[in-house]
Amino acid sequence: MQIKNLTKKYDDKAVVDSVSFEIPKGKVISLIGPNGAGKSTVMGMISRLIAHDSGQVNFEGTDITKWKSKELSKRLAILTQSNNIQMKLTVRELVAFGRFPYSGGRITKEDQEIIDKAISYMELEEFQDRFIDELSGGQRQRACIAMVIAQDTEYVLLDEPTNNLDIYHATNMMKIVRRLCDELGKTVVLVLHEINYAAFYSDYICAFVDGKIAKFGTVEEVMTKENLSEIYKVDFEIMEIEGKPLSIYY
Amino acid sequence: MNTSACRKNIRKLMFMLLLVALAGAAYMLVGVNFENQKLFAYAMKIRTPKLIAMLITAFAIGGASIVFQSIINNTIVTPCLLGMNSLYTLIHTAIVFFAGSGSLLARNANAAFAADLLLMGVVATVVYSYLFKKTRHNVLYVLLIGTVLSSFFSSIQTTLTRVMDPNEYDSLLSTLVASFSNINSEIILFSVVVLAVVIFVLRKDLALLNVITLGKDQAVNLGVDYDRTIRRLLLGVTLCIAVATAMVGPISFLGLIIANLSRQLLKTFRHGQLILGSALFGMIVLVGGQLIVEQVFTYAIPVSVFITVGGGIYFLYLLLTNRRV
Repeated sequence: MQIKNLTKKYDDKAVVDSVSFEIPKGKVISLIGPNGAGKSTVMGMISRLIAHDSGQVNFEGTDITKWKSKELSKRLAILTQSNNIQMKLTVRELVAFGRFPYSGGRITKEDQEIIDKAISYMELEEFQDRFIDELSGGQRQRACIAMVIAQDTEYVLLDEPTNNLDIYHATNMMKIVRRLCDELGKTVVLVLHEINYAAFYSDYICAFVDGKIAKFGTVEEVMTKENLSEIYKVDFEIMEIEGKPLSIYY
Repeated sequence: MNTSACRKNIRKLMFMLLLVALAGAAYMLVGVNFENQKLFAYAMKIRTPKLIAMLITAFAIGGASIVFQSIINNTIVTPCLLGMNSLYTLIHTAIVFFAGSGSLLARNANAAFAADLLLMGVVATVVYSYLFKKTRHNVLYVLLIGTVLSSFFSSIQTTLTRVMDPNEYDSLLSTLVASFSNINSEIILFSVVVLAVVIFVLRKDLALLNVITLGKDQAVNLGVDYDRTIRRLLLGVTLCIAVATAMVGPISFLGLIIANLSRQLLKTFRHGQLILGSALFGMIVLVGGQLIVEQVFTYAIPVSVFITVGGGIYFLYLLLTNRRV
């Protein structure tokens, strides 16, 4: 997936300004940066949720606006933060929606197997007949990820998946992200606020400041004292733990 | 998937269908003279179109309410917000005011129905198709426009009634409450055709309702053309409400009650079941209510009074118990 000169303006202010980068296949890529830097907007634009004003998102050789929405939904899945489902929906029924691009409303035998697999992959068997609104935040997030797994796409985009989760659930979520990439071979793009999660669990980091890319590269390349101080405008120290550069900020 | 809950719901729906059949039979047969062939035939002739009109109205309002609530993603909105009720009231007041109660439009039920439907159809298309596009598919703007239009129409209507001849006002008043007595077979046939066309044109959009309720982001993620679907459904909802209102008068508040009763009873996200449940509840309420109005109160109280009072209390109950609002 290549992104070229992507721009989004609200009124006259460019929130994303001529952003270009390439998303490497089969890796975990984290988008980081301060509030209002445009990471979520970029995520929205590369997943067609938000229309871009100029530039190009080239997905497997074709511009993303030229893709049929239904075909795209078999190759690219996005999970945003807005998940307030008003319906009486069980976990299993939610996961089954992941099969919608393939078989419409009618679930086939093959779909059932994929749904079963997705549920057991996320260890949701005991919750599968519970209603979504009766679950805790962490369980609900896992159910949403199970739906994305059932959607069976090559690319998975997650907008702040650790938001509103405690340390235990957030860490588990990041481990799941890593497994999606390592075990299922998916390309995962995340928007993250917690830079140490980005450093520890991803392969590449793309840092945004003021709608532009400040740094893009491997974790080791981006996670330096100078880079981070420049991006966040606070003092940083970098420590190495388990071979990964982790940051301390104060 | 989850077949036991599904089967249970089907059983509930069958039971409701039975209740509708019972209410319908009671409505047709209570107080009828079976001895005299002529009186029997006369009663049937009067009651049959009324019963059919109630069934159609219940179906149109019940279905439209569920769809409307799912589009807005809020279960305490009523399609009253679309402003069709006040437009209906305004049209009828304006006709009596400008053309007089003796005019063709005021006396002839078919002409009045055609005028209502035409005007409502035009307003619905302009507001809920064109403006919806203009406001970048923001559903909340649509609600706001509906509310503003409602009060706009009612203000004009109030002004007209203030300067109206009292005798004319008196004759007008009876047409402003929902009633099933002005209905003939032509109106019924025409309504059925309009509803059937709306449902046929929207059949693919209706199938997307389950996904729509997951929210815009999820629906787009799953490959749904969200804005287009919402626009078409919104227009369809308004047309259904317009047909029902043109047929029997301002009654769409009923939608709030029956849609929520259906959601409470069936506890599902499957819109096929929800719409059916809502329509069946509507039929029970209307036919049962009309039966009581005719046989117990001998027409002293119109059925819409029951609906408004009952609906108001139920609405408060929903507000107080629904903690997620």
